[in-house]
Amino acid sequence: MSPSSLDELIEALRCLPGVGPKSAQRMAYHLLQRNQRGAARLSQALQRALEVLRHCERCNTFAESAVCSRCANPQRDPALLCVVEMPADLAMIEQTHAYNGMYYVLMGRLSPLDGIGPRELRLDRLIARAADPALREVILATNFTNEGEATAHMISDLLAARGVRTSRLSRGVPVGGELEHTDSGTIAQALIERRAL
Amino acid sequence: MSPKQRIDQQPAFVLHSWPWRETSLIVEVFSRDFGRVGLVAKGARRPQSALRGVLMAFQPLRVDWSGGGEIKTLVRAEWQGGQPLLQGRALLCAYYLNELLVRLSAREDPHPVLFEDYGSALADLARQTAAAPVLRRFELALLRELGYGAGLANDAQTGEIVDPAGRYVYIIEKGPVRATLDAAGQVVVSGQTLIDLAQNAFERPETLAQGKQLLRTLIHHYLGGQTLQSRRVLKEFQEL
Repeated sequence: MSPSSLDELIEALRCLPGVGPKSAQRMAYHLLQRNQRGAARLSQALQRALEVLRHCERCNTFAESAVCSRCANPQRDPALLCVVEMPADLAMIEQTHAYNGMYYVLMGRLSPLDGIGPRELRLDRLIARAADPALREVILATNFTNEGEATAHMISDLLAARGVRTSRLSRGVPVGGELEHTDSGTIAQALIERRAL
Repeated sequence: MSPKQRIDQQPAFVLHSWPWRETSLIVEVFSRDFGRVGLVAKGARRPQSALRGVLMAFQPLRVDWSGGGEIKTLVRAEWQGGQPLLQGRALLCAYYLNELLVRLSAREDPHPVLFEDYGSALADLARQTAAAPVLRRFELALLRELGYGAGLANDAQTGEIVDPAGRYVYIIEKGPVRATLDAAGQVVVSGQTLIDLAQNAFERPETLAQGKQLLRTLIHHYLGGQTLQSRRVLKEFQEL
């Protein structure tokens, strides 16, 4: 029989997404047998992150202070607020260097069948954030999945009722894309949402 | 265990999906000839996967799968097109339809008629027509197809067609009976509403309002008291 601290570690590793009993066992043996220093580092980093990290009061992303450095940056345009699902989406928009406004990270998306609704997403916090008088426009940059669309619709409805102007990222054929190699769903939607020149 | 089989070109809609392992997806589909089926879509969450844009709910697909267990393996999925993506409120209503199918229909219980009803309900929602009649029509079709549909337009006691001007309460699994004075707490509907529901006619506002109450009670009963998450989400949204 294996010692209980080993069992506990294996069980704890299973909280990671996509990790079942087999993978958890493999990870535990690796950490304990082959890479004890790595294990110590992991344990300290996890401990520290749990102590230090919280959600930024302004944009809801992970931050070490009450307001994150991006939200505190006076160079950024306070009139624009871009709403994204996850921090990874924020990073992607930052990479474009095409946007210099503020962000709001939902940390999820609406998923009615999984019971994730406005309460779970804390949309009340976004509504409070959007009440900022300096704000001119809220850009909804949630994903173009059904869940992302539903999230965008709900937010735009809630904000429109409060007199906030909202816009949605446009979608269509990718830059440098050839129609021949684009999936038919994208082309169909690009046709439906075509614009006048 | 059912024998290993390969199904090709089966018309289907995705009802729900959730991540599985590192890069895969478990997809719950509603197929025309096999009802609700659970499929594993291997590698569907990889960035370059061709399945990524295809396995979207509310879009008509043709799928191939193989295997004989509870969860089968998705081999191929093709987008059929012809239906714009659902937007706004129609999308929220469509989630409700999917939740009804997931909760109330059994896996591998074929309902080809209901499949057609589901497809036309989605098409109607996409066309931005009023959602309420579309939802009521689908709820009625669902109860009928799943075998829960007791007669609507015949009095359960006398067997005769209900009196349009009469007031009725609905006894689950029996049918409508005349409402007595102590009908407090029960849903009371007019005979005309019952006749309209039996004929899928939703022109009268009273039919829509009473039909909604009646169908909600029936669905609640067959769900065994579980809450519908999609309805809860919509309600929370309206309260914000």
